[in-house]
Amino acid sequence: MTNDEPMTFDDLLARPQFSLSQAEKEAALTPVLNELTAHHRARCPEYARLLDVIYPGGGVARSIAEAPYVPVGLFKTNRLQSVPDEEVFKTMTSSGTTGQQVSQIAIDRETARRQTTALSRIMMHVLGPDRLPMVMIESGTLIKDRLRFNARAAGVLGMANFGRQHFYALLDAAPAQAASHVADDMKLDVEGLRGFLQKFGGKPFLIFGFTFMVWQYLFQQIDGRGFDLSNGILIHSGGWKKLQEISIGNAEFRRRFAESCGLTRIYNFYGMVEQVGSVYLEGEDGYLYPPNFADVIIRDPLTFAEQPAGKPGLIQVVSALPLSYPGHSILTEDLGVIEGIDDSTCGRQGKYFSVIGRVPKAELRGCSDVHATEVSRNIASAERESVPV
Amino acid sequence: MTVAAEAGLMIQQVVPEAASVELADVLGRLKRGPALTPFSDEVMEFCAQFSRAIFKDAAALKFPELQALAFWMRKAELLRLRESFLASQRPEALLAPQGVAFHIPPANVDTIFVYSWLLSVLAGNKNVIRLSPRVSAQTDILCRLFNQTLAASPEAMRYSTVMLRYGHEREITQAISAAADIRVIWGGDRSVRTIREIPLPPHARELTFPDRYSFAVIRAARYLAMENRQSLAEQFYNDTFWFDQMACSSPHLVFWEGSLQDVRAASASFVVSVRDHAERKQYEVQPATRMNRFTFSCQEAIDGRASTYEDLGVLTVLGVDRFGQLSRDHCGGGLIFQYRLRELGELAPFIARRDQTMSYFGFEREELTAFAHRLNGRGIDRIVPVGQALNFNRFWDGNDMLLQFMRYVYIG
Repeated sequence: MTNDEPMTFDDLLARPQFSLSQAEKEAALTPVLNELTAHHRARCPEYARLLDVIYPGGGVARSIAEAPYVPVGLFKTNRLQSVPDEEVFKTMTSSGTTGQQVSQIAIDRETARRQTTALSRIMMHVLGPDRLPMVMIESGTLIKDRLRFNARAAGVLGMANFGRQHFYALLDAAPAQAASHVADDMKLDVEGLRGFLQKFGGKPFLIFGFTFMVWQYLFQQIDGRGFDLSNGILIHSGGWKKLQEISIGNAEFRRRFAESCGLTRIYNFYGMVEQVGSVYLEGEDGYLYPPNFADVIIRDPLTFAEQPAGKPGLIQVVSALPLSYPGHSILTEDLGVIEGIDDSTCGRQGKYFSVIGRVPKAELRGCSDVHATEVSRNIASAERESVPV
Repeated sequence: MTVAAEAGLMIQQVVPEAASVELADVLGRLKRGPALTPFSDEVMEFCAQFSRAIFKDAAALKFPELQALAFWMRKAELLRLRESFLASQRPEALLAPQGVAFHIPPANVDTIFVYSWLLSVLAGNKNVIRLSPRVSAQTDILCRLFNQTLAASPEAMRYSTVMLRYGHEREITQAISAAADIRVIWGGDRSVRTIREIPLPPHARELTFPDRYSFAVIRAARYLAMENRQSLAEQFYNDTFWFDQMACSSPHLVFWEGSLQDVRAASASFVVSVRDHAERKQYEVQPATRMNRFTFSCQEAIDGRASTYEDLGVLTVLGVDRFGQLSRDHCGGGLIFQYRLRELGELAPFIARRDQTMSYFGFEREELTAFAHRLNGRGIDRIVPVGQALNFNRFWDGNDMLLQFMRYVYIG
């Protein structure tokens, strides 16, 4: 950057993604985050009270890491919004299981627009400018049921924008229970997939799904059956927890797909309903990269001090997108590690990181069985799925 | 319902020996077996031996709460208890055991069941203890040592105690309850509510230990005048951190009494001392606990129940400015509220039935007695010096536990 004018949000979006060095990003993003802090302080009374008590002095951040952060769990117990109700365009919720509290995120039209634009800027980086024929590792009925418009459905719909001729590759095994969309009740439409590949498999096409579903309902069904996915670009998200239980990590996932059906262009991403649009897409090296308008800070789980590269800790995510709710700087309950800064082997600039997993549940002692269960329930936040809308 | 009607329920017995047993057989044997008399030599000897076994065991050495338990059960302490039992005897009324006591301890304090059992067995009762399926090292050690001690004890002791490990199977709790003369429910409001629905014989007595709240009061000027301030921090640390601040008698709130200036100085010095001691003790903070504490603090700020926030890593301190902001919400794991009182009496309107232990420093017995009189049953069951909040004794939650485990036989 030779220009002394600070970059605006639009500049950050317009530039090729992953193109800012960490120093450039610090210079560009810090004032944007300060503006957002002031914006939400003025519009969200709950957030203002939080700042007054937790961050007294209300000091302006001199670096990205100094921006005040809020714990992700607050979005489950509060409806934090910085716009009047009538401007709320939609409310995003995380897809927790029954009985779990879910995050409620109020989105206005402008924030929605920013999320959509931001996501397409990120996806264009690996998909190119054209919409590709697209395989969804989902059942078509998930999307039809608008009553259950949760994070998973929203994520699928958001990604659908990047494809055409969508093929929903899963069938509800038990049609009577289709409305429940229980992931365990689905199977691959093998013949349908063959048909799609005959038609589109000779040129680049897009595959999207949640990580464990891609493994269980795509890979495991087609492995060894002579499918050629070498023109495919797989984008997947949702976390590794279920795959870790069967000892499948990212490297193994990539290797098996490459060997079995020639699929090598695989991009995992990390994101959450509390920061929709702000996704961290995997590079060709298998690490996750923040886009220009977002960043990650890793914090010591006990002191919350910023960790240097190589030291694991809690993941804090910052993003320039959220205008309608104070979610521009969030301390998550995920653990990760910065793998390097400005020295990527795949040409991207800035920090890159890996997600290690969720903070393990606490085992507190105490006289009261009730307290113990309540505390662990608070800690065990609802399963958050990535929502690229 | 009779015990026989429940024939066929198989259950895992841990004491007197590990075995899969039929519940009806166990309860039948317990009822038929010889009974102990209160504070008999054989029960005193057994408890003293059990205490010695814990002291000598290498594995038990690692757990301070097991050491505290063994200390509480040592011979000298048992003799003191017998003295106080004898003092409760009256010429016109004989103290006799209740019969069968059914103890339901909390799943996650590993020593409570022994305290509950100890007072009961000394009173001469036969005991059934439900152990949670959640296995802990401490419970395993205690059961192993119990069985070892039992092997070398007289026959009557072998009929005194059965420990059974099971989950929440209602029919098992129901069958044992039907055989009980007294039932003791630990584990807080929800456990008490759930188990209370299961009937007891009409004559049976019930002791319940619901959720409680505890706090400390410290006179700032007296703290500032202390030569060894560190010692108070250490005492407070034990009260607070031993059970991750989740014991019912661990303080969650410190009331400082004194002038604004004194309280500021005292509090600033105190929280740092507590933090330093916790770090020296290498108190282990789990990341989830830490995260939960931060989330809780933010929520208290949003809800206007905290005016200041101080993060000391191992410890979080929330300042409360206005009396009306005081609440009993807490998250445990090292979070303390602070509030300044001009004098102790200002505290009275806050006190509710849920308040259990007020630990104190810098107050005279007369002031505390006057305060307790003033409360007149409003709340608070224990007023103890800082450092003794967790010390169990026969007076707990407003009960004389020892007398509850017995009944008077009036002889006119």
